[in-house]
Amino acid sequence: MKTRSKIQSSKFKGSTILLFTVCLLSAVCRLMPAVAEAKVYIDISSPAFRKLPVAIQEFTGPSGKEISDIIRNDLAITGLFAFIERAAHLENPSQPFNPKNWTPIGAEAVVKGSATMAKDLIVTVSLYDVVEGKEILRKEYKAGKELLRPLSHTISNDIYYALTGETGIFRSRIAFVGEDKGERSVYIMDWDGNRITRTGLKGNIVLSPRWARDGSRLIYSAERNRQWGIYLLDFTKMSERKVFSSKGTNMAGDFFPDGDEFVISSSKGGNPDLYVVNLKNSAATRLTSSRGIEVSPAVSPDSGYIAFVSDRGGSPQIYLMRKDGSGVKRITFEGSYNTSPAWSPKGDKIVFAGRRGTNQIFIVNPDGAGLTQLTSQGNNEDPSFSPDGRYITFSSDRDGVKGIYIMRANGESQERITPRNLKTYNPRWSPN
Amino acid sequence: MKNVFIMIVLVSGLVFAGCSSKHVAPQEQPAQIEMQKQAVVPAKEPSKQLSQRQPENITDQQLAKVETTEEAPTYSEEKSPFEDIHFDYDKYEIQSDAQVALKSVSSWLLKNPSARLLIEGHCDERGTNEYNLALADRRAKSVRDYLIALGIASPRVEMVSYGKEKPICTEHTEGCWAKNRRAHFVILREAGK
Repeated sequence: MKTRSKIQSSKFKGSTILLFTVCLLSAVCRLMPAVAEAKVYIDISSPAFRKLPVAIQEFTGPSGKEISDIIRNDLAITGLFAFIERAAHLENPSQPFNPKNWTPIGAEAVVKGSATMAKDLIVTVSLYDVVEGKEILRKEYKAGKELLRPLSHTISNDIYYALTGETGIFRSRIAFVGEDKGERSVYIMDWDGNRITRTGLKGNIVLSPRWARDGSRLIYSAERNRQWGIYLLDFTKMSERKVFSSKGTNMAGDFFPDGDEFVISSSKGGNPDLYVVNLKNSAATRLTSSRGIEVSPAVSPDSGYIAFVSDRGGSPQIYLMRKDGSGVKRITFEGSYNTSPAWSPKGDKIVFAGRRGTNQIFIVNPDGAGLTQLTSQGNNEDPSFSPDGRYITFSSDRDGVKGIYIMRANGESQERITPRNLKTYNPRWSPN
Repeated sequence: MKNVFIMIVLVSGLVFAGCSSKHVAPQEQPAQIEMQKQAVVPAKEPSKQLSQRQPENITDQQLAKVETTEEAPTYSEEKSPFEDIHFDYDKYEIQSDAQVALKSVSSWLLKNPSARLLIEGHCDERGTNEYNLALADRRAKSVRDYLIALGIASPRVEMVSYGKEKPICTEHTEGCWAKNRRAHFVILREAGK
């Protein structure tokens, strides 16, 4: 009898779990359309999506204007929003949100905020849905005064996430090489070109800073005393360490996702070939052994493949191989000079520089299809994707002095972000 | 209990299948930015809740200056008596006029057994940094291999690639590019000698 009741109760428990699961799943099901529609898909063949009309009010309090301007600038690069200019606003920034003030001027989302400055900067932000007449985001942020820009970018990320369901890139950074009075060094700046910081890291020639996937380290190549070495900058320890050197030309390529290994091009074996270097034991494993040039390796996001440049077919072209060096196949066939491949974060595109009289930025699918030219003015080199794959940074000499530019991944909205008095190149967008 | 789990899996499958077929239509419309409903967000990324009591504290990665440790050179350098030799665009083969020049380099090295030679490889400004470094590496190596073939001991011939980073001529003309596609020679003496 006892046994029987036990069985019954477990059956009851089982069907409760079942019922609960069905309820949960159908709840998920009902929520899914919101997720699906919120997801913004930008087709590089320029689709006709509707820009969301947004009003960003000037924030009240000290630095309020500066903060709200940074947020507006962040959201502007996306091309996803139409801004209702401040002169048209009927509601005073200090007044409480009232949808009746916004419907007539066509705003569908409104951002309001206030800043106070004491020991720290404290900013409160609200985001409103005009159609539903309700607040969909309310949050307070605190930072030291010197972190006004990172704080504003964090707000942009939260607004962007609330409106699109996607993670914004507004706190990402770009590492690059700068030349100031003839001296070359590794620099870091915010993605919008602000807060340019020169590290003390230099060489006669410095090239190719490349991020580890967690954003905590950079590897780059430097020529010092007529030797090319690969160096590692660790942000957590703030230290620089030589991690590879040999006779010949050594050029930093790319980290593998685990951060313990990276791939480089080295001519230590006679001509430039690709090697995997292990950071823990400094062992270098050879991946290619052609008689020509193998250079600029880029590891795919899933770490299964390496894109690289080889002249084995008579001219520099982009090739793909498995991470162990097998299965080499060529993916560029147009033009006689295609170099500098970099992967999109999803692994569905490769961006590179191709020479068509001048150097231009192209993207192509990893199977070689879908070749699209994105730039046309001046020489454009060193492309890499933003962490969300929506933007590309590159260097260009289109206005005389080599500088760093950003654009949307479909080539729209090309904009110089570094000042004209600093020669800059080799930009790499941080992975986060 | 096992049957119950199988049923859960089956039912889940059905519900999800229902989900995906039901929502094909909305995805066909042009992509639009829509307000996300509050309930959805915390489920996807709990750290970014739409409202919170505690202010988010913003911090930033420290970027103190890290100074490069200077390494002392192990040799001193002298200007060499040799002219640069030149290459065709995107090529690293030694041309016939350069072969004559390299023969005089090798006879000088044979007469000056204490001297070592550094070969710098260079490119013109067209093309990209990294590929040009590899190309200039091949140019320097072609020269080095040629000198070794003429009887110079390999430890006496060093090489370094500068790619397009050190042009001697900065105009954007074919005449200038031809001057920059070069191998340049430097005489090395052991430091302190």
